[in-house]
Amino acid sequence: MRKLTMIAAIFAMVFAIHAGIGVAHAEDVVKVGNILPLSGPSASVGQQGKQAREMAVEEINEAGGIKSLGGAKIKLLYADSKSDPNVGVTEAERFINTEKVHVITGAWNSGVTYPSSAVAERYGVPYIVPVSVRDTITERGFKYVFRIAAKDSWWTRDQFMFLDDMQEEFGEELKTVAFVYENGDWGTGFAAQWEELAKEHGYEVVLNEPYPSSATDLTPVVNKIRRARPDVLLLTSNAADAILLTNTLADYKVSPKVIIGSGGGHADPTFLSATGDNAKYVFDIVEWETDVNKPGAKEVNAKYKERYGANLTGEAVDAYVAMYVLADALERAGSLEPAAVRDALAATEYSEGPGMIVTYDSIKFDESGQNVNAALAVVQVNDIGNGLERITVWPQSARREGYSPVFPMPAK
Amino acid sequence: MDLVFLLQDVINGVLMGSIYGLVALGLTLIFGVLKVINFAHGSFIMVGMFVGYWIVLFTGLHPYLALVLVVPVMFFFGYAVQHWLIRPIFIAERDVREPITVIIVTTGIWYVLDNLALLLFGPDYRALSPNPLKGEMLELGEIFISIPKFYGFLTTIATCAGLYWFMQKTRTGRAIRAVSLDRDAASMMGINQWKIFNIAFGIGTAVAGIAGVVLTPFYNVYPSVGVPFDVKSFVIVVLGGLGSIPGALLGGVIIGLIESLGPIYMTATWTEAIVYGLFLMVLFFKPSGLFGQKHDW
Repeated sequence: MRKLTMIAAIFAMVFAIHAGIGVAHAEDVVKVGNILPLSGPSASVGQQGKQAREMAVEEINEAGGIKSLGGAKIKLLYADSKSDPNVGVTEAERFINTEKVHVITGAWNSGVTYPSSAVAERYGVPYIVPVSVRDTITERGFKYVFRIAAKDSWWTRDQFMFLDDMQEEFGEELKTVAFVYENGDWGTGFAAQWEELAKEHGYEVVLNEPYPSSATDLTPVVNKIRRARPDVLLLTSNAADAILLTNTLADYKVSPKVIIGSGGGHADPTFLSATGDNAKYVFDIVEWETDVNKPGAKEVNAKYKERYGANLTGEAVDAYVAMYVLADALERAGSLEPAAVRDALAATEYSEGPGMIVTYDSIKFDESGQNVNAALAVVQVNDIGNGLERITVWPQSARREGYSPVFPMPAK
Repeated sequence: MDLVFLLQDVINGVLMGSIYGLVALGLTLIFGVLKVINFAHGSFIMVGMFVGYWIVLFTGLHPYLALVLVVPVMFFFGYAVQHWLIRPIFIAERDVREPITVIIVTTGIWYVLDNLALLLFGPDYRALSPNPLKGEMLELGEIFISIPKFYGFLTTIATCAGLYWFMQKTRTGRAIRAVSLDRDAASMMGINQWKIFNIAFGIGTAVAGIAGVVLTPFYNVYPSVGVPFDVKSFVIVVLGGLGSIPGALLGGVIIGLIESLGPIYMTATWTEAIVYGLFLMVLFFKPSGLFGQKHDW
């Protein structure tokens, strides 16, 4: 082990000397500092983000780098935030003052992104946020912060947009809605937003029921749903309770016209195996799904899977896209001046190219730096010959080819 | 309030409550004899669930047939845990009537078992499949009765009756009762206190195993599944009276009815608050519980 470390150290030194020569013509390298949770509780998503970034940057560099900068290559630097906001802030300072990076990206945890992006703003260094959902990250009047993924409040917004679109497409009217959610931060937050959206979209709320996620029996909740007879059942559940609810709903033959989950427990890999056919026709909202009907999505996923042994996740896709958005902005900026890069990012209208494997049609930032087009996808659980799987159905442009959603849900 | 729906909730409350009673039964048994609060009780239920789960998965037999294997396996498991892990502490702290170290040991067993299961089986939620009981419902007009829960109810009655018979009629049962009343006097009468402790702990563990088998057809199996049932068991046992078999049953049914009927008038989150509120009230006004013995241990 020690020998290996020695060899690695020597290599690192050689590279360092090499990089030192590079400084002589600084335009050759674009330094991008990435703050990610590479260890600690969120390490797995941090690693996904790192791998996706590396894959994208390798592709960009192989294709000739940034041409308007004389073929400059992108160089990625990493800092491990350990999901700790304090570490995030220190690392942002280090990136800017010591490493002299041109751009920062990060930091997955909203709690780390929030303060570390404030550091970047203070120094005037562009900060790209691939994923971090907290609304307020782009609501502080900052000029240098750009977010690609959807905000927290857009998840609920898209659930209602999906309902609107489905009613129109299938000519089925939905009038009443029930909210059933775990009584934590996440569930109650969603429920508050549902309440407003239901009013705006003209639904009658027939049930608003929080339940403890540790409940050992959800029959009483299911009986309440049965009594309320909603057309639409909106759920926010963790894994154990999502499974218990789905099975109990089927036992009591409760069939609303639509059941929509909010990611979380419904997206847990064990959800399908533990519920089996009871999960059939349930809808769930997600950031991305492997079957999304976008040119290149399949190939990128296959390449990623071959390299890292797992499918792309929503997190990884956003990180991958972020690198292409950066390359596109640098190309148009033609300079590494922070202000020029910032202005180019602000003028982004990225709608085609290798990065467009997301569910939405283009990336375009508003005044606050939020990607206005960021959206989510809705999947339906169904068995079309290959066992139960999650099939993308919404937005229509991303729907799996040849699949027609089952809507409304047939009575059980 | 629609009477049919009320009846539906009462039925579900009694069925689920009786199963809660079964879940708490092993805990109250062990306390009654050893005067030890077994924090590993939830983990024993989890072990019973996993044993039952694997048996059904490999043999495809009816889930309840797993009892034939689960009961003896869990009995000897509990017997061994008491003999090898708990007895030495009793001996080391023989001056103390209720050694606190034993509680720490049972907590240790809880952590070890849960993490061992996590290591061996991963954090996945498993549902029994093939499972002839899954989703089986008896439909009486608007009223639905869950068959797996009804079987659980019958099993609870049978287990309680069997235990009652065992305690009253057999020599070992009488010896267990004697030790639970006064272990020193029982020892002087020629009863081997340690053997009785082993047997009582074994029975308590076997009952936890039965509860595990009853839960498996309609609940998911995962390494930390015991935790919510553990907490519930403590509330039930305190409510019914520590060490009392009918107390555990009645305590379970009361909790089941609160959980089932509460949500008619309020949200499900509040019923949990009511259960814990009741727990505190009992501790405050009648610490011996509904059926608990008055005298100080």
